[in-house]
Amino acid sequence: MVKNPKIICVTGGKGGTGKTLVAVNLATMFKNEGFKTILIDGDSENPNTYLLLGGKLGIRESVPFFKPSINENKCTKCGICADNCVPHALLHVKDSFPVPILAVCSGCKLCFKICPTVAIEPDYKTIGWVYNLNVREIELLVGELKPGEARSASIIEALIEKLEKKVQEGKEEYDVVIIDTAPGAHCDVEELIEKADYVIPVTEPTKFGLSDLVRINELISLLHKDFRVIINRSTLLGYKNQFFNEIKNLNLEILGRIPLHEEVVNSYCIGVPLMEDKKSQEEMGPAYKAFKDIYENVKKWIEI
Amino acid sequence: MVIVAVPSDGNGGLKELMNSRFGRCPSFTFVHIENNKIAKVKAISNSAVGQMGGAGIHAAQLIGDNGADAVVIGFLGPNAAQSLNALKIPIYQAPQNKSFTVKEVIELYLKEKLPLITNANVSAHQGMGRGTMR
Repeated sequence: MVKNPKIICVTGGKGGTGKTLVAVNLATMFKNEGFKTILIDGDSENPNTYLLLGGKLGIRESVPFFKPSINENKCTKCGICADNCVPHALLHVKDSFPVPILAVCSGCKLCFKICPTVAIEPDYKTIGWVYNLNVREIELLVGELKPGEARSASIIEALIEKLEKKVQEGKEEYDVVIIDTAPGAHCDVEELIEKADYVIPVTEPTKFGLSDLVRINELISLLHKDFRVIINRSTLLGYKNQFFNEIKNLNLEILGRIPLHEEVVNSYCIGVPLMEDKKSQEEMGPAYKAFKDIYENVKKWIEI
Repeated sequence: MVIVAVPSDGNGGLKELMNSRFGRCPSFTFVHIENNKIAKVKAISNSAVGQMGGAGIHAAQLIGDNGADAVVIGFLGPNAAQSLNALKIPIYQAPQNKSFTVKEVIELYLKEKLPLITNANVSAHQGMGRGTMR
């Protein structure tokens, strides 16, 4: 029997709120206490979790995407493929071979499945890559979408598949999986939240932060997931009072607040996680303490 | 004989205005030309007009199914351009500064006043929404 790790998804709606900061430091703290940890970078358009960990992307696996290829020796020009293609990605004029219009092909393979003469052959193009590396004793899975490609959800599916394989093969027993999502409340984010047992939206005390938090909470609630909020840059002034009033009205559970402090900014700039940095451990600044508190709250919450 | 397709308003025909949208025009008028003269006219309604996506591809298919040898367009999106190119149907650009009837634009074609184009001249989804672009 394979042990199922606890899966925590760090998300947040707004870009730049500190999702990666939280995900990397949580992973670091779990790892520092001896928990076997997998970190997943699910922001396939800007995969840079590895940078904050100070790692280097190495060997990669291609993520293939189906495209139809017409075997003209078998094709009878019947047009069934084109008639049934929902995005109209197959152009068929009577008495001629169908022409795939790849820009609108969703990769659903319906044409391949229904062709009566098996004349549609699966062909694949690479739309991105999945990397697997080990940095600072954290197992890191990174998805990267090839610039210019549109189907990022396929990269997320490949990441999830890779994660499941890793857990199922049981070479290593993992305790925690931490997922770092892209900003937004779209299908890539949804797929990853769906996989999680616990969801942590990271926000900041600004109008933008609040508005996007409300949107991501809606998505998390649609998926019936348990979630608790982290407020990053909690010391930002200006909108702070209204923000915290709103948070109170929304009746949200708060895991912790991370103050905007030099030590966090510095760790971000140099690409060493705050919770890994010897100097910050000795100095025990306010952000370091905030992360420690958050970590304890997370552990209680997920019962680990 | 050559068949030239023109995206048109209403139910199509020589007297109708040419519609500047390709994928989402209400109708296509097919003008048969013999000895440099209009010999016959046939019009069909455009079944791609209300389609969610891929209207340009579907419209190109209609053009091809009706045996057109050339098409005259106002605005053309990338998928439509790719589709017409795949069908090897030459694309002629109508002037965009005024509106023409189908007959007027065919006369320009016959006088060889219309330039040949191969690429899209608008980005995807420009033709969406009924009646916003003429």
